[in-house]
Formats: sequence, structure tokens, C-alpha cells
Amino acid sequence: MAEESVLRIPARLEGMDLILSFVSFLLDSHGCSPQARTQLRMAVEELYVNVTLYAYPSGDGWAEIRGCVEDGIATFKLIDGGTPFNPLEKDDPDIMLSGEERGIGGLGIFMVKTMVDEVEYEYRDGCNQLTLRKQL
Amino acid sequence: MKLTPKKDGTELTIQLSGELNTLTAPELSSLLDKELGGVKNLILDFAECDYVSSAGLRVLLATFKQMKVAKGGMELTNVGENFKDVLQNTGLDAVFGVF
Repeated sequence: MAEESVLRIPARLEGMDLILSFVSFLLDSHGCSPQARTQLRMAVEELYVNVTLYAYPSGDGWAEIRGCVEDGIATFKLIDGGTPFNPLEKDDPDIMLSGEERGIGGLGIFMVKTMVDEVEYEYRDGCNQLTLRKQL
Repeated sequence: MKLTPKKDGTELTIQLSGELNTLTAPELSSLLDKELGGVKNLILDFAECDYVSSAGLRVLLATFKQMKVAKGGMELTNVGENFKDVLQNTGLDAVFGVF
């Protein structure tokens, strides 16, 4: 079983660089390709930003990231103790619309789904837990 | 992120260097707010920026709409492999002029 690395920080936007450095550090130490690294960083960015914006509507809270690489597969789990919310249930945007017809937002979670091999949500032990998996 | 604007008449070119993400997208947005007046052709050069998250796409889409209203054009140049994937996966390669 690969050793899991863990980082827990206040769930604030300013912490995003720290979370992404954690992702890069772990992937770089396993010889990850630049493309997979960028895709995983972007997927984690989208999910972490969601936590900072929506998990704790009434005040401060925490976010935790856990990561490991085993048998060439990177797994990251993003956990928060905020309001139960599954972002994956959101409808996918209609990507066939023209530029004029499109809204300017709503692409983040959809992008996560396209950039990793698997993404799962569960509410467990009073926490939102989102797990990303990607073959490196 | 480093943003280098260059204006030539009604054409504005901005070179982006670094990552266009949630923390840096507001920098591009405020530069565009400042520089976009009177511009008919906007060129965004991504030669040194191959990381564009949804926050960056939001700024690009808002700017695209603004340019359409002003009857101007917007092009993305020197788009790298990662950014190209993002544009294809979100259908935005068919919206923006990508070179």
C-alpha cells in the first residue's frame, strides 16, 4: 500500500497555491508526465475553489487533501466538513452552443470530469469527500 | 502571472506568461477592462501559458462576448497541447479563433 500524503489547511482561496504545490510535489516525485500533472492540478483547482466558495456559507472551515501514487495511478481525495453537497450532480453544460448563446460559467466541474479517469463523491463521517483517479 | 500588452492602432496583443487560474484570472480581467476601449482586434498569445482553468475560460468568454458586441474580433494564438485539450473538451475551440 503506497504511503498517503496529507495536507489540511483553512478553506480559503489564498490556500490554492499550497494545495496545487502539494499536488505537483507528489506527482513530480513519481515522474508524472507534464500533461497529466497539468490536468490533475486543474481538476484539483476546480474542486478546491468550489470548497472555498460554497462549503462553509456561515464562516471559516477547513479543507484537506490526501494523495498517493500506486501502480501508476494517482489518487487525490479532497475532504471538507461543510454543507453536504455533491457537485457532480450538476448538469453538464451544453458545449455545442455558440459563443453568443453560452453562459460564461459552469464549466469547472465538467472540466474535472474530462481531465481525470474517475471522479467520485461521497458524504462520509460528516464530510464531503471527492476522489479523483488518473493513470499517469 | 505576467501579462504584456502591446497596442498597435485598434489592435491589442497580450502575451500571457504563467498560469491563468482562479487567482490570476482577475489580473487579466482588470487589464482588459483598462485596455479594451476602442480595440477592434484582440490577440491573446498563449506561447508561455498552457494552463487555463475554468476561471480563465470565464474571462475569455466574457471578453469574446464584449468583442462581439463591439463588432470586433478575438484570436487565441500559440495555443499549447493542454490548453488545446481544454478548448476541445469544452467545445470552445469552435467558438474562439484558435491558431
